[in-house]
Amino acid sequence: MLKDKLNAVLKIDRRWIFLALAVVLFGAIMHPLGLISNKISRDTQSAYDFMNKLPAGSFVILSLDYDPATSPELNPQAMAVARHAFSKDLRVGVVTYAAGATALIEKVFSVVPGEFKKEYGRDYVIFPYQPNAVAALTQMASDIYGIYDKDKDGKDARSLPVMKEIKNYKNVSLVVCIAGTSMPDAWVAYAGDKYGVPVIAGVTAISQPGYGPYLQKKQLKGLLGGMKGAAEYEYLIKTPGEGTSGMDALSLAHVMVAALIIVSNIAIVILKYL
Amino acid sequence: MPDTTLLIAGAWISAGLTIFLFSFLYKDNPFFKIAEHLYLGAGMGWWFQVYLFDVLKPKVWLPLMNHDWLVIIPALLGLSLITQFIPKISWVSRYGFTFLMGYGSGLAIPAGLATDFINQIGGTIQPFANLTGMSAFTFFNSVLMAVGVICVLVYFFFSLEHTGVIKKASNVGIYFLMIYFGAAFGNTVMARFSLLYGRFDKLYAFSSRENFYATQIILIGMVIYFILHGFFAGKKTASGEEAA
Repeated sequence: MLKDKLNAVLKIDRRWIFLALAVVLFGAIMHPLGLISNKISRDTQSAYDFMNKLPAGSFVILSLDYDPATSPELNPQAMAVARHAFSKDLRVGVVTYAAGATALIEKVFSVVPGEFKKEYGRDYVIFPYQPNAVAALTQMASDIYGIYDKDKDGKDARSLPVMKEIKNYKNVSLVVCIAGTSMPDAWVAYAGDKYGVPVIAGVTAISQPGYGPYLQKKQLKGLLGGMKGAAEYEYLIKTPGEGTSGMDALSLAHVMVAALIIVSNIAIVILKYL
Repeated sequence: MPDTTLLIAGAWISAGLTIFLFSFLYKDNPFFKIAEHLYLGAGMGWWFQVYLFDVLKPKVWLPLMNHDWLVIIPALLGLSLITQFIPKISWVSRYGFTFLMGYGSGLAIPAGLATDFINQIGGTIQPFANLTGMSAFTFFNSVLMAVGVICVLVYFFFSLEHTGVIKKASNVGIYFLMIYFGAAFGNTVMARFSLLYGRFDKLYAFSSRENFYATQIILIGMVIYFILHGFFAGKKTASGEEAA
């Protein structure tokens, strides 16, 4: 009798699971439960601390290399990092090597600079998309203007106040690469290891375990992983955003998946051995 | 067209395409096919304009207009790649590929060796340089990491037969690999849920009164379609059986 019921549980139509997942996620979006933990991972804390220690006026390259497919995870990271940079009065140069990122960058910088009364050209600049990232990264080592002589609107980059005294990697205090691709690897290899530029990465949760060796060897100064990394960074800068609200839904979804795995494993053990 | 109208139209298109694509989780249907083909077509068109306006125009056309004739060389090398589609002159493409191989290898090999090979070997050995100042936990971690690296390398070492000690080390390597895959899979699940959350969050936004309840109306429309389709498909099967 019990075994028949357990067999029925294991053969449940997977569409019921999809429906349950949809209900759980939608429920959390409509009625947030406030399940956010204030425990910050070591790698997010390191990223925050490194940027926090930079003196005002330092030039930071923000390499935003994600497209709409990974934006739910990475856009909150970009928003949080940009907010932190502007709150510390850092100068920001935005670059991208993902063609799909251009509209998302516009969206981030149509919101964040205004919150801190930052002005385009004086406090930050957005450069156009460049194909062949490795060639661009190599060129920037000797002369940034060799690859970025104009900003996204076609203005002469040299004439912008934000680019004052910026010539190559020697004048760059930090690179933050938020990417749904392997761009952090390129920044570590062609800017970090080769020219000593500190690099922080923000990556999708899928890619996060692969960056452990770079963290252990301090080739990366910090790492934000997925939506959890974004939520942690938002907590550190005391500005809750999309990452924080998303964690509520994710936590519930994880509980549901864990419960399903446990229940089905118990069922299999009973069916096989009892 | 006013901005608000465009935003509402965008919300309807976005909500519609998302629901159409998700509808495949229930079963295949024409709405899913429409969204799928639209996605492919739009993607191709979008990439075409990226290459045209973000690559060809600034990297080739504009320099040529400014009499920078040197760009002709890389442009010709790039064009030579297309000749592989014409069998008679496909040999020309070798020049482009040769350049790409040489340039790519020259850039990637030294950087890859330094960053991913020498530095990582250093990272595995370095902790043992400070044995006296090490806590018991750090020592355990360092040994664990070194053992993990060696055992995983042994697992992928195929020049020796995996018997005896080699087999044991290789088996330990499998456990380290399984732990890594487990962590990676857990993170993959989290990432997929993040993406799903992203779309649901948008669907929730599109369900507002300002967007004329786009999500609810499209969702109800899809449910009605499936009910009607199920009803008529059932009727068709029944009449077919009767005729037989």
